[in-house]
Amino acid sequence: MPAGPTFMWRPGRVMSGATIALAIAILIAALLTVLWTTGRSMPTTGSSVANIGHLVRMSAIQAGLSTALSIFTGVIIAWMLDRLRFPGRGLVVGLLSTALVLPSLVIVSGLLAIWGRNGWANLFLGPLGLPTGSSIFGFWGIITAHVILNGAFAGRIFIDRLAAIPSEKIKLGRSLGLSSWRRFAIIDASALVSSIPGVAATVFLLCFTSFAIVLTLGGGPANQTLEVAIYQAVRLDFDLGAAVNLALVQLLVCAVIIIPATTLSPPATLFGRRSTLHWPEPGWLTVLQAALLAALLFAFIAPLAAVLAEGMGPALLAVLNQPAFWAASATSLWIGVASAGLALALALGLAMARGLLSTSKLPRALLGLPVFTYLTVPAVVLSLGFFLLARQLGLPPSNAAPFVLVIANALLALPFVFAAIAPPLEALSARHEKLIRSLGLSSFAQWRHIEWPLMGRPIGYALAVAFVFSLGDLGVISLFGTSEFSTLPWLMYRAFGAYRTNDAEAIAAILLVLSVSTFILIPKLFDWLTHAHD
Amino acid sequence: MVPMIKSSLCAVAIGALALPAVAQATPTLTIYTYDAFAADWGPGPGLKEGFEAQCGCTVNFVSAEDSISALRRVQLEGEATDADIVLGLDTATIGEGLATGLFTEHGIDLPDFDIPLEWTDEVFVPFDYGYFAFVYDTEALDTPPASFEDLIALPEDFQIVIQDPRSSTPGLGLILWVKALYGDDAAEIWQGLAPHVLTVTSGWSESYDLFLSGEADMVLSYTTSPAYHVIAEDEDRYQAARFDAGHYTQIEVAGILASSPEQELAREFLAYLVTPGAQAILPETNWMYPVLEPAGGLNPGFEAMIDPEPALLLDADEVTANTRVWINEAFAALQ
Repeated sequence: MPAGPTFMWRPGRVMSGATIALAIAILIAALLTVLWTTGRSMPTTGSSVANIGHLVRMSAIQAGLSTALSIFTGVIIAWMLDRLRFPGRGLVVGLLSTALVLPSLVIVSGLLAIWGRNGWANLFLGPLGLPTGSSIFGFWGIITAHVILNGAFAGRIFIDRLAAIPSEKIKLGRSLGLSSWRRFAIIDASALVSSIPGVAATVFLLCFTSFAIVLTLGGGPANQTLEVAIYQAVRLDFDLGAAVNLALVQLLVCAVIIIPATTLSPPATLFGRRSTLHWPEPGWLTVLQAALLAALLFAFIAPLAAVLAEGMGPALLAVLNQPAFWAASATSLWIGVASAGLALALALGLAMARGLLSTSKLPRALLGLPVFTYLTVPAVVLSLGFFLLARQLGLPPSNAAPFVLVIANALLALPFVFAAIAPPLEALSARHEKLIRSLGLSSFAQWRHIEWPLMGRPIGYALAVAFVFSLGDLGVISLFGTSEFSTLPWLMYRAFGAYRTNDAEAIAAILLVLSVSTFILIPKLFDWLTHAHD
Repeated sequence: MVPMIKSSLCAVAIGALALPAVAQATPTLTIYTYDAFAADWGPGPGLKEGFEAQCGCTVNFVSAEDSISALRRVQLEGEATDADIVLGLDTATIGEGLATGLFTEHGIDLPDFDIPLEWTDEVFVPFDYGYFAFVYDTEALDTPPASFEDLIALPEDFQIVIQDPRSSTPGLGLILWVKALYGDDAAEIWQGLAPHVLTVTSGWSESYDLFLSGEADMVLSYTTSPAYHVIAEDEDRYQAARFDAGHYTQIEVAGILASSPEQELAREFLAYLVTPGAQAILPETNWMYPVLEPAGGLNPGFEAMIDPEPALLLDADEVTANTRVWINEAFAALQ
């Protein structure tokens, strides 16, 4: 086999990755263009959005702070859970990323049930003379909510990186008698560093474009994001041109974050079979870890427990008896399965191509950008763009709705899926390239014998994230006529909007149970599937 | 609802294939409206059943997130729209609707309405109405404020939740309410309210949920909100706070699109909408007042609601021309 440059070695993989990247770029460009050209033909009174600079600054400060704190929290959580073994650990890991993918309305009400004026925390702290009042509202309320959601997600991604450290490394570290700090700095940090840029970029984008949480907990117009201004340009002013311009501003600002994240992230190197070797910290540190973990878990899991508790009322039976509930569940399930499959295929294609280009920065960046682009375009712009695109293609909106929903959800979930599978896949490429080349394995044989057996857990987690994420968002088809086409979260929003708070809480609890089961079962299933081929 | 929509799509497709005899057998009336109206528990299904029994047609509700989105969709579709009627615009958004130039005069003889003003609009037909009000929990609050001044004078830990006027109907209603009462002094009222505003949510649902879970003392909603709790939940602890200076009125309307090929059928539907039979469906599905005495009378639960007199309403043209300025004025105070 000729030893050409790396990217020429697997032209099929590079081409698929490039095609996917190009397709996503074309889609986004088409959505913005169709909106812009339509906007030019529409009469408008002009946009009333003012103070763009201020909005960008506020959004960036909020998102930057949320991201830094989320990554820090995520690393701590992963470090503690990696060292500690206790009954129910699997459930805790399963719960970690659940909050991120649930509809934000659910999360906000869960948070308030704990930290609100009438929450559990005040119930205990009030009599001690330490009432927290309504402190969950305002700038720090937004930050707290974002850190709880995204810190748990970051922690979940990082745990897998730590668990995949090859056992030789751990044995070596142990025999060298590394101190806890040096063990973290030498072994753990090098396993985490390749994941941090991707996770940080994702978290930043989520916080920068955050809508419902910012509005609900923000306390008023002082704390707002650019995303809300774009909503104003579309809804109130119907100035589509202005909406596209604002969306481009948002894209540019986000690019400042994404481009370094995708170019600078070092290709991952450490990835091995899940190690059964357990090396706990010294006794005093284990006690400290356990105490800290208990405190953090309270912050992360109590809001979810509150959602569960509030949903377990008599309304649950009533909801289960509604045909609309079962119809919505069926729709949610197939949309979730379809978008999860699509998201995984796209992420695998992009990650495999990137794995071959570990030394060339520009192609790596070009393959990394599309992963995040979709997340930076405001939902209302996407919604209008898809609607207009469907019309120009001559598709009736109600026929186009399912396809749009699957594509939109897959692209929304792409950064999460990518964050879960790209670093391990790259590490595998880097680690086994010589072996693969010397054996002359075909691309498929490489997948079948090297990647698939080792990627089971990350793929399982990626599918779970994409599936649960796709149960969620319907915003993108709000124009398409949704009465005949409903998913569980949509049913929940409707119930909230019609005074049916109890029904809505029951649906939220069902969504929570469904999400947690998915996060526990799907990775296990894939672990089993891949090991069955040993 | 799924089979209906499919069959209406078939009707459209068959029409396109130039088989008009089949398509004409059951004409379809397509109504764009807001989601809650078309929902299973909303007025949509009842009205559909009622009108189909008399029209020999198929009624097809197409729901958008809210009524403005329904209007925007028609604007995007232009002449080619499937919609015959847009239902759910209100007194604050009628001006936006008229400005599009897409609607035609309804041309029907309207009955005598039982609404707080003389209805003279030749384009839109009103079908229900209500008043914005702050709702409070009688178990937590003995004496609610009776004016904006009272509210401002309360201690700062008295918190209210309101909605964003850019995304929510009651949110915009509050802007108009304050403007109708205080005119050029509205900014001062907003400055006084600012410390009491716990948060401004994007939709009504989020703020009502905050209120029900005890996070705020009052929520901006409707005078008829307590009727839901009384009639559907047998719960009378929630009440609307009566403001002596008056409450702002929201009248919901429907209008016929000039592009509709089913003008006659659309007119029939609007006429049906203001019959006592159709009006009887609305109060306990949309939780608003009927525009005239409904068949079988109004549920007594509604009689217990506060008297919102005097009913306030600003001129539609003035609202359309100034909405953005007024929103910015309120936001400047809330910053």
